[in-house]
Parts: sequence; structure tokens; C-alpha cells
Amino acid sequence: MKKILVVLFVLSALVLSFAEIPNPDTIIKREIGEPQTLDPAYAYDTASGEVIFNIADNLIAYDGKALNEFVPMLSTVVPTVENGYMSEDGLTYTFVIREGVEFHNGNALTPEDVEYSFERNMLASQFGGPTWMYLEPLTGYQFLEQSVPPFVGVGEWSDLFNEDGSLKEEYREDMIAFYEEVIDPAVEVNGNEVTFNLEIPYGPFLNVLAHFSAWSVIIDKEWSIEQGAWDGNPDGWWKWHNLRTEDTTFYDNLMGTGPYELVEWDRTTQQVIMVRNDNYWREPAPVKNVVLKTITEWSTAKTAFEAGDIDIMTPDQQYMSQLRGREDEGIITVEGLTTISTDVIGFIWGINPDSKYIGSGRLDGEGIPTNFFADENVRKGFQHAFSYDAYIENVLEGQAIQPASALPKGLLGYSDEIDKPSFDLNAATNYFRRAFNGQLWNRGFKMTLVYNSGNDARQAAMEILRDNLAQINPRFQVEVRGVQWPDYVASRRSYTNPTNFFSWLADYPDPHNFISTYYNSDSGYYAAYMGDSYARFASLPQPEFGGVSLNDYIMMALEETNTQKRGMMYEKISKFAVDHAINLPVDQVLARKAYRDWLKGWERNPMQGNSDYFYILSKEE
Amino acid sequence: MTAYIIRRLLLLPLIMFGVTLIVFSMMQLLGTDKLVTAYIPQSQIDRMTDEQIESVKDRYGLNDPLPLRYLNWLGKTLSGDLGWSIVGKQPTLTAILQRIPYTLELALYAIIPIIFVGIWLGIKSAVKHNSFTDNFIRIFALVGYSLPDFVFGLIILMVFYGVLGWFPPGNLSLWANQAIASDSFTTITHLTSIDALLNGRFDIFWDSVRHIIAPVITLAYLWWAFLLRITRSAMLEVMKKDYIRTARAKGLSEKVVINKHARRNALIPVTTVAGAMVIGLFIGTVFVETIFNRTGLGRFVADAATQLDYSSIMGSLLFYSMILVIGNLIIDILYAVIDPRIRLE
Repeated sequence: MKKILVVLFVLSALVLSFAEIPNPDTIIKREIGEPQTLDPAYAYDTASGEVIFNIADNLIAYDGKALNEFVPMLSTVVPTVENGYMSEDGLTYTFVIREGVEFHNGNALTPEDVEYSFERNMLASQFGGPTWMYLEPLTGYQFLEQSVPPFVGVGEWSDLFNEDGSLKEEYREDMIAFYEEVIDPAVEVNGNEVTFNLEIPYGPFLNVLAHFSAWSVIIDKEWSIEQGAWDGNPDGWWKWHNLRTEDTTFYDNLMGTGPYELVEWDRTTQQVIMVRNDNYWREPAPVKNVVLKTITEWSTAKTAFEAGDIDIMTPDQQYMSQLRGREDEGIITVEGLTTISTDVIGFIWGINPDSKYIGSGRLDGEGIPTNFFADENVRKGFQHAFSYDAYIENVLEGQAIQPASALPKGLLGYSDEIDKPSFDLNAATNYFRRAFNGQLWNRGFKMTLVYNSGNDARQAAMEILRDNLAQINPRFQVEVRGVQWPDYVASRRSYTNPTNFFSWLADYPDPHNFISTYYNSDSGYYAAYMGDSYARFASLPQPEFGGVSLNDYIMMALEETNTQKRGMMYEKISKFAVDHAINLPVDQVLARKAYRDWLKGWERNPMQGNSDYFYILSKEE
Repeated sequence: MTAYIIRRLLLLPLIMFGVTLIVFSMMQLLGTDKLVTAYIPQSQIDRMTDEQIESVKDRYGLNDPLPLRYLNWLGKTLSGDLGWSIVGKQPTLTAILQRIPYTLELALYAIIPIIFVGIWLGIKSAVKHNSFTDNFIRIFALVGYSLPDFVFGLIILMVFYGVLGWFPPGNLSLWANQAIASDSFTTITHLTSIDALLNGRFDIFWDSVRHIIAPVITLAYLWWAFLLRITRSAMLEVMKKDYIRTARAKGLSEKVVINKHARRNALIPVTTVAGAMVIGLFIGTVFVETIFNRTGLGRFVADAATQLDYSSIMGSLLFYSMILVIGNLIIDILYAVIDPRIRLE
């Protein structure tokens, strides 16, 4: 028995040592989660985007790793003022549609498909979904829930419908008119060209359309209608609007012109299987099959990766040390990859008085007042009490940089000249001594800093603040508490968390996507969670902006067509944010990747995030 | 006996009604703000206004009085509509039904070594009471009992997959997955290995078995100690009985005494425990399925719990309750068959 075991062991070792590339026709990628949906009008997560942009193409693509240079894709031109395909006022963009391109079902790509793709997505859009990115420039509003009611003349979107969900007959003509007057003119076909007519100049418009933007892929009109998508008729479009994600037409099935065709999204075995499109308009992809396999447990994924059954994956940072330096075993790791993202501790300038995290709710040493963070000295004190370098080095293993403001490095307007908040307990002490006319220093405070349970990095950040604040003044007593994500989100919404950890990954690589999100109290996703005091501050005329408010200045920067001038405007906003310590920018994390050495050609544009474009990959010794 | 079974069967709907009440009430404790996630993904809720969330609540009846909500939910549940599973990304009932075969197959394969080896070890241990064999078996089993299933599973994975490359994780290899999805393969039982045999595809059968061996070894080793201890103590108890002494006094061989007289009686309590163990095995595969990346029901429930997927949790709880209730009914009936004193009570 013993001999048999020894022989088997040796044979296995021999087989392993002489093994060829496992699964040579298939790239297998480990995922930690499945797509939310394959519908381009609804998909807003990276797992969904990865499948969509491998199946379907966009009009243009990023030029290699560049963020603001483009190459043609399904369009044969990239519109610029110089080539005449973009108007000087930045309100029209024209694309010449490539001929000879076929969808996976053999249908030819036409300009009408391009027009349909965008119009269908705008009409089918989901509140909170990704289509706001072109609804805003094309219609002036981010969501149809904002634009349709005033057009029709009702107060709310729900006022348009009966209890059973059907449209009230008296609004039918207006709803048809909305399509004809707002949506239809936004994207027009003229011969072999498609023109986008913008309501407002929109600097990042080409980014919104570029490859890796899953919401801007081109689908086949005829096939889509066959599948049950919007039929192209102005009468009845609302039946396809804001459906539940799972009820949408392309929830689990999508077809495009891309290098891979969807074979199956098996939600039981948690795999997405794609096969090469041999009729691709460029050279077909080198590898025939792609499998995206969900393996949640790290040890299992790592063992499969070492065995060669996984070709590529994005490990969590804390596991990178298990893979680093193993090139001789055929394991390649890449770290320090740029991401267009920032993590920020947001101060809530007006905390809900019912919050259970503010103690007595007064400046009596037993709590904090609701306007605690409306005092600039408090905010600056907190900024100087955070040890940025230690956090990045110890918690994030050095895989991050410290940005000055919420604007990430790499985007227009980012400047190394702006002084970053520094860890300086003396400076923090000085600011705290000045806060609330010295009362804060004498009385001290008690508060709870909340993070979402399971997020170790956020917990560590809060604990760093707690410990440093206690070091500054023993009367500064902070408790750190983890809460479940739904509770965290709910208390963020109700302004009950004194601070929130905000993280934003770029929708498109333009400063507006960050500056507006973090600082514009009118329309910024996170700025809206900072309370009324902040909204008042952001609406006040500011001398730094020549008497214009921060909110207005952000919109002026968006509409500025001169890139240089625009960059200076964002730099000014960043400096303003630092000077007033609007929030506490913590880090801009760097990404990583691990893959086997038989996988060739891997490269990445920062806009891909952790997703991969399999068209460029091959498997060879 | 028939009256006993009928009595127990009549109690079944009542018990299930109680179960639905408890399950529903427990979920309501979460509050309607969280229950909204059963209808709209959390990521979308994050971007909605309070008014919009309220309209979602109205639309799905979350603002209705509790009894009305219960009746609506019960009505839907009885018609097979368990809601949408966010974790499964399909209707909850479909998600559960599609995952059951993977767990069932694992449980079926695991039960065989657990019961036969566990009982054999228990008897061996009792017969060789206080000998080296007894101590060795007990220590061997105790180690399994003490090891966290997660740790032991990882060791098995690393040895048999990482080092030897014999037993990979997952349900099936890619090629086998494609083969069973093809038109030429007929799905009959939904248990891959059995269907492979019925289709005459021995390659798929072997692939399926190859994927199931490691989790079976893990489960078996962890459960052996449990069964061994019950069998051993029951056997030791029986061995002290007068009728065993009488059997020996009659001059029967030790083999006959043990196999014919002692073992049969010792298996009465073991049957009850083994039955409960089978149920426990069916619902307790969470860690093993996670480590070996098997997409069964255990992992589904674990994912649903961590993501607070209301519909999936409710559906799974109901399903598990059903298994427990029916499983216990079968055990009780079996017990009554084995031990007449039970049905006379």
C-alpha cells in the first residue's frame, strides 16, 4: 500500500512538472462576484461592465493607456474641432459609422443601430443607473424622473401613472412629444453619420462614449426588438422605463459586435462563458474561450491559480505577499497600477440631532453639537490628526498615494503644487484650541466614528483618528464602531453618522466626475450627504471664485471648452477644498493584478479598473 | 402504527404554518427599510431619494399592516413565488431547486462512508474496549471532531489538489460542464454523476466523482467521531446486558454474540442520531461548499445571509424547515418501527 502511494505521488509530481499550458484554448479568470446585469442601460458595476465590453463595442476607444486620447472603434473618426466633426461650441459631435461590421447574429451594423442604442438606453434608464452620464449633456437632466414631469406639467413622475402602473391617458400625447422633442433630436442619423446634439457643453462627453463604458455599447436594433426591448415607437416608451433590474430585456443575454460572443451566464455555477467571434471586424481574438468563474474563498482561488486552472485574477491587497516574487514558478504580479479613484472621510457639517453617535448632542464634554464639523478649525484639527503615511504604509501596504483633495492624480486639474493635508499633532492642537472659541479644548468631546463592518481598512483609519485625537487631548474621546452595510447606508442617508467614508471610482476620467460628486451640494452624490450647513456654504459667493459660489463654479468648469482654462479651474477648486478642509482625503489606492506567465499581452487602461479586455490576451509558452 | 403515522402527518401542516409565522416574523424585525432590498438592489437604493424609497415600499406593500403582508406573502409562497433572489440572480425557488442537486449529491456520497465507517469504528472500539485499537480509533476520531471544518477542508484541498492535483474544486471540469449542457446529454435525476452513468458517459461520471471526493473526505472525517461515540457507548451499554451474558453462556461464538445480539440492539439509538445527522449533513455543508467551490445550497444560504438577501433567506429557511420537519417525521416513524414501545405511547 505504502509503495503504491509513493508511486502515485511521484507520478503526479512528474505529470505536474511536465504539464503543458492548462486549458490552452481558454482564458479562465477568477472573479469574486457575478455581474448584476448584462443590460447596458442598467449595468453600473465592474463585473457587469467587463462582460459587456468584451461582447459589444463602442464608437471610440481609449488609445492604449491614455485617458484623454482616443482611437476609432465602430466610428471611423474621433470627433475634434480640428477635423470638423465636433462643433466649436462643444454642442455637436458627429461620428462616421464603420461599414462592413457585423453583429454576432450576422446583421450588419447601421447608423440606425447606433441611434437606437442610445435612445433605447435613455428611455429604458433606471433611476440611479449609469445613463445619467449622457442624459445630462443630451437633455440637461440626469434622470427622466427629473425632466419628464416638468415637460408634461406634473409634479412627480408617479403622477403620470394610474395605480396599476399604466399611463394616465391624458398624458399620452405629452409623453410622445417628450420623445419627439427631447430624446429623438438628441441623436440623429444623417446618411452614414450619427450626430449627438448636446444641451450643454460637456467636457467628458467622449469619455462617456469610449470603450470600457458599458452604457455606451452599440446593440442591434432588429435583434433587440425581437428580444422584447423598446420597439422604437414613440407611443409607449415608458413601459420600458426604470424596470426592476431582473425584468429588463438584456438582463442575462446581450449581443453586440465585440470580439467575444456570450455563450452562457450560468447563475447556478456562477460562471460566464464566452466564445470568440470569428467574424470580428478586426482580427479574431487569439484565444477561443473565456470563462469568468466566481470563487469567493481566497485559499481555493489561490490553489487553483497555482495549479494553473486560473489564468488571471485580482487578489485583495493583503494576499499579494503570498504571490509576490514567484516569477520562477510562472506567477506574475503587477502592483502600483493607477486607479482613478479616491477615498475620503467626509465630515457631516450638519448632523441629525437624533443621531446616537453624538452623545449628548451638545458641547459639554459628553457629546458633540450637530454643527461640530461646520467649524473649520475642527475640520482642520481632524485633518492634521490623521497619520496619512502610516495608514498608507501599514494598512494599505504602501499601495496608495495621498491626494491633496478628492480629485485623483492623473486627472485634469490635479496639481502637486497644492499642499496636501499633513499629519501634525501640534498644528491639530492649535486648531482644536481655536475651535468653538476655545470651549472645545476645555470641555472635550465624545463621539462615535462609524465604519461598515468587514472593511478592515476603514476600521483602521477610524482607529488611527481615535488614537491620535486622544493623544492630542485626553478629553477627546472617540469610540469606533462597525455596523452592517445596510445600516451604514441608512444612517448616511439620515445624516446620523458624524463622518462617512466615501469612495468613488471614476465613471469617466474627468475631474467633473469627482469634483461634482464630492463638492457640489446641488448634484454631487456624496456632497448631498454632508448636510444643510454644507449646502449653504457651497451656495455662498466666494472671493476665491470671483464672487461665484462653489456649486456654480463647478458647473462653469464643466461647461468650459478650453482645456487649459478648465484645468486651472479644477486646480482652483481643489485648492479651495484643501484651504477650507471640506473633507479629509485619505488615499488614492493603486491596483494590482496576478496572472500566469503563459498569458501574454496583458495591459490595462486605468479606466478598466480590475476588469480585463480579453481580446488582447493570448496563451503561449 | 398506521394511526401513529396519520397522527404525525396531520400535525405536519400545523407545524409548517408555525414555521412560516416564525420565519416571517423574524424577517419583519429587520424593519421595512431593509426589506426594500428584496425588491431593489442596495446599490440602487443608495442613489434613491427618501420619497422614491417610500414609493417602492408602497408599490410592494411594505407599508401595509403586518397581518395583510403575512397573508400576501403566504399566498405567494404557496403559489411557488418566493420572490427574487439577489444572490442567486434568479427567482428564489429556481435558485434553490437548481442548487439542491449539488448539495444532495454531496450529502449522498458522504453519508455512505460516514455511516458505514462510523458505525464500524464505533463497534470495533467498543469490542476492543480500552485496548490500543480502542484508544487509537478514539484519538483519530477526536482529532476530526476537534478540527474546525474550514481548516481541515483547506488541508485536504491543498494536499489533494494543490500538491497531488487529483481532486479539483468546483462541480465539474469545463469540458464536462459543456458536455452536460449539450443536447446529446439527457438530464434525468439532476445528480451529475448518476445522470452521467445513465447517459453512459463514464468520463463525466469520473469527472464528477473526482470533484466530490475531497469534500466527501472532509465531511466524513468530521462526522465520524460523532457517530463513533454514539455507537461505541450504545454498544458498551448493550454488551453489559443480561441477554448478552446469556448468549455467551449458551456457548455462542463472540462473532455471533456481537453481530446478532449486541449490534442490532445497539443500533436503535444510533438510527435516531444517524437520521438527525443526515438532515444536519444536508443543511450543514456551508463551509465545505465554500472551500471546494461547490455551488450548492449551503453556500447559497451563507451568501444570502451575509448580503441580507431577504427573499433567499426566507425561501431557504422555509426549505430547511421543511427538510427538518419531514426528516424528523421519517426518523420518528423509523424509530417507531424499530422500537414498538414508541408507537404504544
